[in-house]
Amino acid sequence: MVDTPLREPTFWILTALAGPPLHGYGIIGEVAALSEGRLSMRPGTLYGALDRLVDAGLIKVDREEVVDGRLRRYYRLSGTGNATLAAETERLRRNVEAATNRLGELTPTARPIAPRAVGGLA
Amino acid sequence: MRDLERRYRHLLRAYPASYRQARGAEVVGTYLDLAAPDRHWPSILDVADVLAAGGRERLRAAGAADLIPGVRLAGFLSYVTATALAGFWAAAEVVTTAGRWDSPSFGPFATTGIVVWAGWLLAAVVHALGPARWVRGAIGLALLCTAAVVPVAAVFELPRPYLFVLLPQATLGLLALAVSRHTARRHRLLPLAVALTAALISVGVLSGESAWFYRFSYGGAFLPEAGAALLLTAVLAATVLSLRGASRGLWALLVLLTPVGLLALDPVTENIAPVVGADYADFRVITGTTAATFVLGGITLAAALAIRARSSATVDTPVMTVHERCPTCGR
Repeated sequence: MVDTPLREPTFWILTALAGPPLHGYGIIGEVAALSEGRLSMRPGTLYGALDRLVDAGLIKVDREEVVDGRLRRYYRLSGTGNATLAAETERLRRNVEAATNRLGELTPTARPIAPRAVGGLA
Repeated sequence: MRDLERRYRHLLRAYPASYRQARGAEVVGTYLDLAAPDRHWPSILDVADVLAAGGRERLRAAGAADLIPGVRLAGFLSYVTATALAGFWAAAEVVTTAGRWDSPSFGPFATTGIVVWAGWLLAAVVHALGPARWVRGAIGLALLCTAAVVPVAAVFELPRPYLFVLLPQATLGLLALAVSRHTARRHRLLPLAVALTAALISVGVLSGESAWFYRFSYGGAFLPEAGAALLLTAVLAATVLSLRGASRGLWALLVLLTPVGLLALDPVTENIAPVVGADYADFRVITGTTAATFVLGGITLAAALAIRARSSATVDTPVMTVHERCPTCGR
């Protein structure tokens, strides 16, 4: 069982695995790219998160390979993980929509601000 | 095997043996994938990452993964208690007077403790209003002030708060470092709100009292009550969380036994003194009781971990399910 709303690292890991299966190094790179460099995970932290997600049934091990003598285990999203990510994405989308609407109400076209002689935000 | 790989494998001893066997090759492979080709030693950040992750995995293997959220909860309750005490004592620094015995003062304040309490109140303000990444730094600064006031006051011969007051404050502060960075806004306001309430109570109770009593008696008078309030809150939280099926409240309660014991140090030492044949609670009695409080707190926590590990040992948790053998080493 994973707490909802999802924490940011969990959200990005699930998002990274929404595509083709990825191994640890691939997930780290994909999370960094998706979050535009804001989230940089280290392997110890990543594998702890992967263990919890496997336990919660949100991801599964897809296959294993040995490349250049190094073991690579690939992970993919499970059906439950897919549903959890979709629900979280929908929740975030509604939040963004509500915030966007509220900000839209504050724009000069929707609510004109009386000009000031000196200073002000306008 | 390259030096770097050998060193990462050595570091991996932080993990339980069963985890190393099942996942070690994969974890090391990822570190090696991320390392620059000319690197020969793991970076400091990688070392910290492996040690922290290994510690978490050992707790998980012992069936005590919820100890970490328990420590975070204990950290938050400690933080609220520390800021409440800071609000109380900060007001005492201002409203107590030199009195007819003309007790020494620190400018307009009763003692140099005002610097300590101001540090904790600043931490509460940062927690309420500042960026989350600043909170631990602010707590660390307050802790530094709490520790530094003792030698500074000794060197410059300035008055300072009683050690009975400073020692539990420092212990609560150390635990407060474990407070989570992901805290809801209403929870972030709590330490500051409690500190302001405690300051108002202090103004009502201590206005016009002598600073001598603040420096030498109030530690015994008010700290046990603060300890009782902390214990009661922890018991309540543990009960509510247990009813919801979460055991982090019980871990928090166990962790908090040590600071609760230190808050009650003054009356405890007064009662222990005659038992150990001392005329009063002298330095020997106080240091012995303090050490015993830390040891008993540690033993209680260790015993709970051992019991949890034994009870979870019967549950066989597979670490990974795809392969029984590591395809790299064949074992």
